[in-house]
Amino acid sequence: MKGDRSKAVTLWTFVVAALIMLSAPTLVVLGASFTAGNMITFPPEGLSLKWYAAIAGATDLRDAFLRSLIVASICTAVAIPTGTLAGIALAKYRVRFAAGVQVYLLLPFTVPLIGSGIGLMLIFGRWGVLGQLWPVGVAAAVINLPFMIWAVTASAAALDPDLELAAANCGAPPLSTFLAVTVPAVMPGIITGALLMFILALNEFLVSLLLVDARIVTLPVQIYNSIRSIITPDLAAISVVFIAVAAAAIALLDRLVGLDIFLKSK
Amino acid sequence: MTTLMGTDAPFAVSVRGVNMVFDGVHAVRDATFDLEKGRFLTILGPSGSGKTTLLRMIAGFGKPTSGEVFINGLAVGSVPPHRRSIGMVFQKLALFPHMTAAENVAFPLRMRRFDARTIPDRVQRYLDLVKLGKLGDRRIHELSGGQQQRVAIARALVFEPDLLLLDEPLAALDRKLREEMQLEFRRIQRELDVTTINVTHDQREALVVSDEIIVMDHGRIQQKARPEATYRQPSNAFVANFIGVTNFIDGMVTAVDGDTIAFDRPGLAGRPGNGFRPLVGMAARGALRAEQIRIAGGREALGDVDTVFEGAVTDAIFEGERVVYEVTVPDLDGAALRVFDHDPVAHSQHEVGAAVAVGWNARDVLVFGD
Repeated sequence: MKGDRSKAVTLWTFVVAALIMLSAPTLVVLGASFTAGNMITFPPEGLSLKWYAAIAGATDLRDAFLRSLIVASICTAVAIPTGTLAGIALAKYRVRFAAGVQVYLLLPFTVPLIGSGIGLMLIFGRWGVLGQLWPVGVAAAVINLPFMIWAVTASAAALDPDLELAAANCGAPPLSTFLAVTVPAVMPGIITGALLMFILALNEFLVSLLLVDARIVTLPVQIYNSIRSIITPDLAAISVVFIAVAAAAIALLDRLVGLDIFLKSK
Repeated sequence: MTTLMGTDAPFAVSVRGVNMVFDGVHAVRDATFDLEKGRFLTILGPSGSGKTTLLRMIAGFGKPTSGEVFINGLAVGSVPPHRRSIGMVFQKLALFPHMTAAENVAFPLRMRRFDARTIPDRVQRYLDLVKLGKLGDRRIHELSGGQQQRVAIARALVFEPDLLLLDEPLAALDRKLREEMQLEFRRIQRELDVTTINVTHDQREALVVSDEIIVMDHGRIQQKARPEATYRQPSNAFVANFIGVTNFIDGMVTAVDGDTIAFDRPGLAGRPGNGFRPLVGMAARGALRAEQIRIAGGREALGDVDTVFEGAVTDAIFEGERVVYEVTVPDLDGAALRVFDHDPVAHSQHEVGAAVAVGWNARDVLVFGD
């Protein structure tokens, strides 16, 4: 009995510590954004919404946020077809060099982001497309694609292989089978991956930093630039908006496919 | 396209010398058979016997390594599955989870370009046929196991295929539902008169539903016959063992007199099984069904039988309509014979350990060479 009790105490200590560690940054930023003072502090000095009013009126922040949304949309649009096809192929077929492909897909994780960023900067620079938003979206899709592929693969691996044979037996040629049966069946994975890609691209900082110039800064870069001058509570407020968008995406994900699918994905 | 020569009214299905080898496994060996239109054929065999592989080759999933499948007399080797007029009910049903029951049934009609205006009526007619008339709007996961089976049957039949294939769809059901669905398959098959090939490892199902049974083992067809013939005249020891409860007595042929083979011990005799040409000195295997053995407290009570042995009851299981005994017979090297007593009231039940006499007639013993 005593052993059980000390076990419970230890366990709960860890759980509570972990919960605090995980949520502290969010809570601090959230608190700081409601401050009535002019300095970013925690706990806040009084409560007000004035910094939210400030960011609503600040065109540079609003434009940067809009640009981030565009980047995230481009990234998602690129990732959905590529990631879906690659994910289904890896799960379903005995792809030649499958192990090699897996390692190749891991590359974006193993190569430091700064390395990928410089590489992409050189390529896009040579093509002369720097200074536009779409390369930033494409770059975000490239470095985060493994997330999309994994989400789809998890769904496709759970697929009954007879489902496609059944479609063929019903008279469906291969393309109709793919569109009418395979894609709807892996849709939970596609939705999961797509929302994940959207959030990751929205938050993407380091690669954006290398690929944008002063005219097209994305929100994380804009915040970073502001921190280097004066740290004012409007940064906390915009961070909260940021967090809210991510939270909305997660809520949408939970609503559409359930988070358990995401957590179970291999 | 190649046609099968020498047939005026072609068979619904003809399989000619089909082999299937994958990953070094010879899954189907030299399979050859014909199936007439409108017949219900069951391919029966243990798991790994090649029965599902054979069925899937007929469906077009996997090309035979050699040999040819003909449907209505036409070779289908180069016809992809979606161009074959075959409906199939899969083992795990493979219903489309994102569609309703009615959408599942409509899918083959849409894919096969039926006139869109006729589709709803036709879907409803087949939902009615499988007694799901009012449940068309349900999603697949909202239906019970038996209802899902019915959707799968309707989807396989709605486009009036030349051939219906059943890949052990009843294996996962509980016994009561399984038996109900077996009769349901039979009813629908008779009503539509559709040529059907069913695959199962359930000997009872094969006997109940089929016009004909093919028994397979190790990739080879062991026998093709009507259910009664499969049971009464098994072509070899494997078939005798796989269908029904069979006792085997091994020995050597000691005398051959017309259709009577004496073998092993004095008093032990039988008639030759399918194709067995006995010679004195050959190894022989006598097969004797559990229900052909009589059991009684003593020799006299057995009545008129050719062969009698004495033994002791080593197990007695009361199964309601019958008692299943295991009787150990010292004179047969201590062989344990399984015996069905269908009249336990008249014979009074024998306790474990009781001394009993068992007897049978020589005509009930089939002697095989293997």
